[in-house]
Amino acid sequence: MMVIVIGGGWAGCAAALQAKKCGAEVLIIEKTDMLLGLGNVGGIIRNNGRWTAAEEMIALGGGDLFEIADRCARHKNVEFPGHKHATLYDVNIIEAEVRKYLYSMGINIMFENRVVDVEMEGRRIKSVYLHDGTEIEGDVFIETTGSTGPIGNCLRYGNGCSMCILRCPSYGPRISISMRAGVEDLQGLRGDESFGAMSGSCKIEKDSLSKELQEKLDKDGVVIIPVPKEDINLDKLKNKVCQQYALKEFAENIVLLDTGHAKLMTSYYPLEKLRKIPGFERARFIDPYSGGKANSIRYLSMAPRDNHMKVIGIDNLFVGGEKSGLFVGHTEAIVTGTLAGYNAVRSGLGLNLVELPTSLAVGDIIKFENESKQTIEGLKQRYTFAGAIYFERMKELNLYITDVEKIRKKVEGLFLKDFFKNKII
Amino acid sequence: MFKFVDCIDAGTEYCPCYLAEKGECIICSQLRGRVFCDCLNWKGTCIYQEYTWNNNKAKKAREFKEYTVKKLNMIRDDLILMEVSVNPYLAKQLNNIGAFVFLKRPKSPQCFATPVSIMKSDIKNNIITLAIKILGVKTKDILECKDKIEIKGPYWNGVQGQIFIKNLKNSEVLISARGVAAAPCVMLANKLKKSNNNVVVILDKGRSNENFAKKEFLDLGCKVYDVDMIKYSNYTLKEELKQLIIELMRKHDFKVTVSGGSDEFHRLYLNFIYSMDKDIKFVTINNSLMTCGEGVCGSCQLKLNNGQIIRGCKQQYNPAEVFINIKGDVNI
Ligand SMILES: Cc1cc2nc3c(=O)[nH]c(=O)nc-3n(C[C@H](O)[C@H](O)[C@H](O)COP(=O)(O)OP(=O)(O)OC[C@H]3O[C@@H](n4cnc5c(N)ncnc54)[C@H](O)[C@@H]3O)c2cc1C
Ligand SMILES: Cc1cc2nc3c(=O)[nH]c(=O)nc-3n(C[C@H](O)[C@H](O)[C@H](O)COP(=O)(O)OP(=O)(O)OC[C@H]3O[C@@H](n4cnc5c(N)ncnc54)[C@H](O)[C@@H]3O)c2cc1C
Ligand code: FES
Repeated sequence: MMVIVIGGGWAGCAAALQAKKCGAEVLIIEKTDMLLGLGNVGGIIRNNGRWTAAEEMIALGGGDLFEIADRCARHKNVEFPGHKHATLYDVNIIEAEVRKYLYSMGINIMFENRVVDVEMEGRRIKSVYLHDGTEIEGDVFIETTGSTGPIGNCLRYGNGCSMCILRCPSYGPRISISMRAGVEDLQGLRGDESFGAMSGSCKIEKDSLSKELQEKLDKDGVVIIPVPKEDINLDKLKNKVCQQYALKEFAENIVLLDTGHAKLMTSYYPLEKLRKIPGFERARFIDPYSGGKANSIRYLSMAPRDNHMKVIGIDNLFVGGEKSGLFVGHTEAIVTGTLAGYNAVRSGLGLNLVELPTSLAVGDIIKFENESKQTIEGLKQRYTFAGAIYFERMKELNLYITDVEKIRKKVEGLFLKDFFKNKII
Repeated sequence: MFKFVDCIDAGTEYCPCYLAEKGECIICSQLRGRVFCDCLNWKGTCIYQEYTWNNNKAKKAREFKEYTVKKLNMIRDDLILMEVSVNPYLAKQLNNIGAFVFLKRPKSPQCFATPVSIMKSDIKNNIITLAIKILGVKTKDILECKDKIEIKGPYWNGVQGQIFIKNLKNSEVLISARGVAAAPCVMLANKLKKSNNNVVVILDKGRSNENFAKKEFLDLGCKVYDVDMIKYSNYTLKEELKQLIIELMRKHDFKVTVSGGSDEFHRLYLNFIYSMDKDIKFVTINNSLMTCGEGVCGSCQLKLNNGQIIRGCKQQYNPAEVFINIKGDVNI
């Protein structure tokens, strides 16, 4: 059975890995020259409820990527406003590690190839077409193209192309594959009901900061500096993707995290202003390159799905990550991608599809997000284990557990230990 | 179904054009009445971004300008070879596959504008060479040109199926051309040779027993064969041509073949080749009727097999989709 994964971000990597572990032949088609997509510029894992989600996945036998991320950690157990026990992986080394692992598992990857269209046979996708017209046939397809950009969206709903890691001008734009297959996209809303949301962090070249800041970042992983009074802009929080960071503390302070670069927890920051802050006199942006002006726009392209991660209306298309809902985060992409990969193989074999139990956070978030986004208010929310409404829900439902042993027992009690390790072909 | 959608002007300095301004862009969904990206053919620039940065206006369209006629030779009673001295910009822009311009006699009204292909463009001396067949009112008017002529350009959609030859290297190509359609084939052969392709040319002897462009192909190092191509009594390909093609296809491994003739000829030729080789790619000379060249007037409209209507002056199509009758009821 041939499973084709379109887009090699965290969700695509997780889906590919899971489909492979289930016994399928797997091909990832990625438009850029790198895996991980936005994962190349993130780095925060295991903060707040993401801790629970990571451990649940490990207990379920789907923890391979979390183990790699843990191995690539620069800092563990970091605290910053509103966030506890975060791990910061090193964005400068992790992509190569994941790539090596996927290759070692026998997954095929085509880089610098962009999917632009599909060939349908009734309600099934028969094949996909690359930008040069090459047709690639498969049995089951997984779309994990994320929701970022492309340029026209970043312009209409943001401040223009900020030259982010996806590098549309070099590798071409994201397009919605599910829409080419005939299914209308859903869009996330902002507080004022305009479309989309702007990415909420940017990265500064660490070497361009003062020695003191560099040393503190290397030692503690985090630096908090008050924003000059005249520059505090609370309105900017409303437009932000990452509602878990839309706290007053993030408007009043500059929060820097060490992910290999200095991660600045704000969408963008005019360079002249930034350089007035002590220690930032020589600061320059490394992601997005135009972080002084803009950041990428996201959540304009979600496919309607069921809780098996199958796209509604197409028999053999699955989705994960930001393509599958208003999920924010690497952890969220890995969780949804893994289930998509698992069910893709089951669907290829004609087996019934599975849902993850809602007694686990990883199952509950998939169901909760799907129900919530049926309403306008729900479309204004983002869903992450790390904060905002979903972390609140985790706490209310006692899903937020940090005791690893307890999580393992819980998974065993559900008879789901190593569930994702089962070969089904 | 893979939508082969291409606008030849997309990403050039003439993009965005009037179509974008009116919400009719061929490529960009944001400039086609939608509010989200659904880019149909990325060519390295975002048309919506270009449009916004250009103050939500189209770029300046091409206009007629006067140039000097260097040479005007009657090479047959109805065929002229013309050399025009142009500016370096135009010479460079016209030194491309599918390049053409609109010509008219100075002071003649716009309705005399005639699309004519570039056979050669000498970018050292900034001279373009054109071959024009005198047919009716517009071309007769050109014949009256003295030392000046007006040119509007550059345009590039004179050849369809460019995707199959733009990046072709170290390959083999068969060109079959008749009459004045050989002119754009000379430009094509020139470019193909520069990318180290082996180019074999079959020319129709026509009335004068030898095509006017034969020497050009020979100078480029192409192997050239002269045959009689058409049996006029029932407009079919002559046995002589068919046998030569069969022989050449046995000897060579052609990846692409170029048809230089009328649409009727394209149809006969493409179907004949396709009956022997299902993998070969087709390139055809564009015979659309053109008036404005800007995608506005609509005189170049044509309907593809899938029912889609396109503008032949700006849009590329896959010639196989247009001329090959899969049912096989064309008399080859
Ligand atoms: C600046 C920034 C910082 C962030 N920081 C963090 C953080 O610290 N911690 C955290 O948990 N989350 C963070 N996030 C959010 C998180 O990175 C994303 O939610 C998550 O990684 C999304 O994963 P994905 O696989 O769904 O999509 P993406 O990462 O967007 O991956 C999509 C992939 O598909 C490819 N693609 C798109 N279209 C095509 C096509 N047509 N053909 C082939 N390939 C295609 C793209 O090139 C890309 O590689 C951050 C996001 C940003 C923008
Ligand atoms: C991209 C392109 C490149 C061309 N290159 C050459 C060339 O290099 N040399 C050459 O001699 N001819 C070329 N032609 C054809 C040339 O434009 C026509 O022969 C010319 O316009 C005839 O006009 P007329 O008034 O003299 O004849 P008419 O009597 O009006 O027409 C005679 C025939 O010419 C064609 N024709 C008429 N008007 C047009 C028009 N506006 N656009 C296209 N075809 C038309 C029709 O098939 C018509 O039946 C090209 C056409 C196109 C579209
Ligand atoms: S020639 Fe006017 S629209 Fe094509």
